Amino acid sequence: MRHPDRSNPDKKMASISRRFSYGLIGVATLLLTTFAAVAIFLNIQRSERELMSRLDNAIRLAQTSLPTPIWNLDRKIIRDFVEALFLEDAVVYTRITTGREIMAFKVRGQSLVANLTADAVLPAGIEAEFLIKSAPIRFEGNPIGEIQIVLSRKSLREKTRRQIYGIIALAFLLIAAIWITSIIITRRYIALPLLMLQQSASRIAYGDLDTFVDLSGGGEIGSLAQNLDAMRGSIKRLFEALRQSKAELEDHSRMLEQNVADRTRELAQTVEELHALVEVSRTVSSTLDIETVLARIVRHAVQLSKTDAGTLYEVDLAEQVFTPRINYGLSDAYIEVLRRAGPRPGDESAVSRALMKREPFQIPDLSKSTTYPLNHVKAAGYRALLAVPLMRDKRLIGGLVVRRKKPGVFESPVIELLQAFAAQSVIAIDNARLFREIEAKGRELARANRHKSEFLANMSHELRTPLNAILGYTELILDEIYGAVPDKIGEILERLEHNGRHLLNLINDVLDLSKIEAGQLELALDDYAMADVVHSVVTAVEGLAAEKNLPLTVTMPASLSPGRGDSQRIAQVLMNLLGNAVKFTDSGHIDVNVEESGGQFTVAVSDTGCGLAAADREHIFNEFHQVDGSSTREKGGTGLGLAIAKRIVEMHGGQIGVDSIAGEGSTFRFSVPVRVAEQGGPG
Amino acid sequence: MNKTILIVEDQEDNRRIMRDLLTSGGFAVREAVNGIDGVKAAAEHRPDLILMDVQLPGIDGYEATRRIKAMPEMQQTPIIIVTSYALSGDDQKAYAAGGDDYVAKPFSPRRLLEKVRGYLA
Repeated sequence: MRHPDRSNPDKKMASISRRFSYGLIGVATLLLTTFAAVAIFLNIQRSERELMSRLDNAIRLAQTSLPTPIWNLDRKIIRDFVEALFLEDAVVYTRITTGREIMAFKVRGQSLVANLTADAVLPAGIEAEFLIKSAPIRFEGNPIGEIQIVLSRKSLREKTRRQIYGIIALAFLLIAAIWITSIIITRRYIALPLLMLQQSASRIAYGDLDTFVDLSGGGEIGSLAQNLDAMRGSIKRLFEALRQSKAELEDHSRMLEQNVADRTRELAQTVEELHALVEVSRTVSSTLDIETVLARIVRHAVQLSKTDAGTLYEVDLAEQVFTPRINYGLSDAYIEVLRRAGPRPGDESAVSRALMKREPFQIPDLSKSTTYPLNHVKAAGYRALLAVPLMRDKRLIGGLVVRRKKPGVFESPVIELLQAFAAQSVIAIDNARLFREIEAKGRELARANRHKSEFLANMSHELRTPLNAILGYTELILDEIYGAVPDKIGEILERLEHNGRHLLNLINDVLDLSKIEAGQLELALDDYAMADVVHSVVTAVEGLAAEKNLPLTVTMPASLSPGRGDSQRIAQVLMNLLGNAVKFTDSGHIDVNVEESGGQFTVAVSDTGCGLAAADREHIFNEFHQVDGSSTREKGGTGLGLAIAKRIVEMHGGQIGVDSIAGEGSTFRFSVPVRVAEQGGPG
Repeated sequence: MNKTILIVEDQEDNRRIMRDLLTSGGFAVREAVNGIDGVKAAAEHRPDLILMDVQLPGIDGYEATRRIKAMPEMQQTPIIIVTSYALSGDDQKAYAAGGDDYVAKPFSPRRLLEKVRGYLA
């Protein structure tokens, strides 16, 4: 922003002196005008008086000089006297009379009275322009004549005008002189010092604190200048202090920036290292391909340690060999050299020394090492080596070596980094080994399990074939196809058939379960009506319930959504639950309750049987579990029904469970999705 | 004239049970012990009904059923497939192969006879 006054200092200066001059001139003009007016007025009065006194003198002169000539009628002297009077410019008319006779008469041309004749009377009203006086001339006290003199005011007025002009001119001259003087004075003593002060102030305002304020002026302006200079000094000192603080601050800030930059660099390095470690550990935990993991580890180790090549050796202490397992930054030809003539346990190589000492070992400058055995490493241009051992449970399994072409000591962060990578390598190797073992075990287990299932499936089939024959023949005999059967034998045959069927159920259950376990059982999904499934199962067990005098009730909504699932298997589940209910209930009743909600069918079978203890409820769905051995035998169960039911329900994506109070009864409840999605096969 | 039923079954006891059952029911019985023979016997004797076991040496019961049903003259002849495993999916396989019905082992001879009579009434 520009200082407004700085833009035109002359104007400022002019304005100060002009205002000052105007004031001065105003006063001077007023004074001079008054003085001139008074002077002119006085001058006019004085002229008037002078003219009057001249007229009086002329009259007195005439009264003194003329009585004798008039008495003597000496016309010549009288005329001479008149001529003498006319020497005075102002006299324009003179007439001297004695009685009736005009002794002398003279008028001066170019005036109002010039045309008057001697005997004419002076016209009235000319007193403004002319001064008229008449006086008697006495001889020895007697009037003998009269003189009349007219003075023109014209010349007097001319004179007065000239004088007024002179006065006015003088006044103007004076005013001009005063004006110029005032301008000079104000400029020299007020405006200039003020301007200089103002310029100094401007300079200070604009930051020039080095130019001293001119102190040559005296008085108030001088003291103002002194104050301004003192102010400049203060400001300058302040500014210097400020500048110094700023410089210090800048130094600080620069230092801080440098520190931040250093820290940032360090952090970036650390972050990079962490990143690499994280990536490596993620790779270690996610990739079981050991080659990939180790290659990544060696690559990161070389890159982050700012070296040129790296090798991960496997050690076989029994065979006394190092095998270069993973290499980075090495040509295939050189890897071949390493394989043939690489380091050996016990020699003076870096990896060997590191393994011997069981801690990191470095050779900062190979050219100064006399014991280093591998000439090809030197020949390849490597100058510095760092090796860290790979240990698992204090057992040496290998070593990680990085090589650098530039000699120099490896600092501890690099060594720690390499140790971290070595540790990761060990984990990776361990993981891979563990995974291989687990995989092998898993395969073995799967194979064994498959064998078991296949064996069970085959065995149950093989068992069933002769059983089928036994049951078939028994029925044919009982139906008397081969002839009449005595009652006694018929009774035995019926027991034979009953036991045979139990055996067959057992075998079927084992077969079902083994097929489920072997993953061979697939759900045959189809559309079905839950009501039909329930009715068919209830119809099948109604007889048995009626035999034991157990009322069987079914509660079911009038309409249920069409279901999709394996209806035969669902029927099998319900059959199992309902069969158990009848089997384990001796008195009371059995209720079947079907509900549909939230896209699920829930079927509950409640009985008033012996119930289950809490401990049994947990295991009831496990294979071959029944409340106790005796009931199994008594009730003819296989102990597999609930296990199969549970698996079938789960294959449908449903749940099965039981609520029970020992001695009061049980409620078995299963739910399956109303619509089972395709490929809802076994897990 | 008695209706003729062809039994295709490799297992001797099963064969005999079915034979005894059906003979006692008044049917004439032809037998074959494997799939190929079953197809041949069907073509030769043109039985009124066939009981077809699934697990057979050579071609299995499903394949034999397909081949028999492929014969124009046998298309109307009911074939009841006797499955070994009472597992889901067997019924579909039986129908897919062209079988008219199926019975799961172990079957009750009494029920089998009823079923056969149902087809040949």
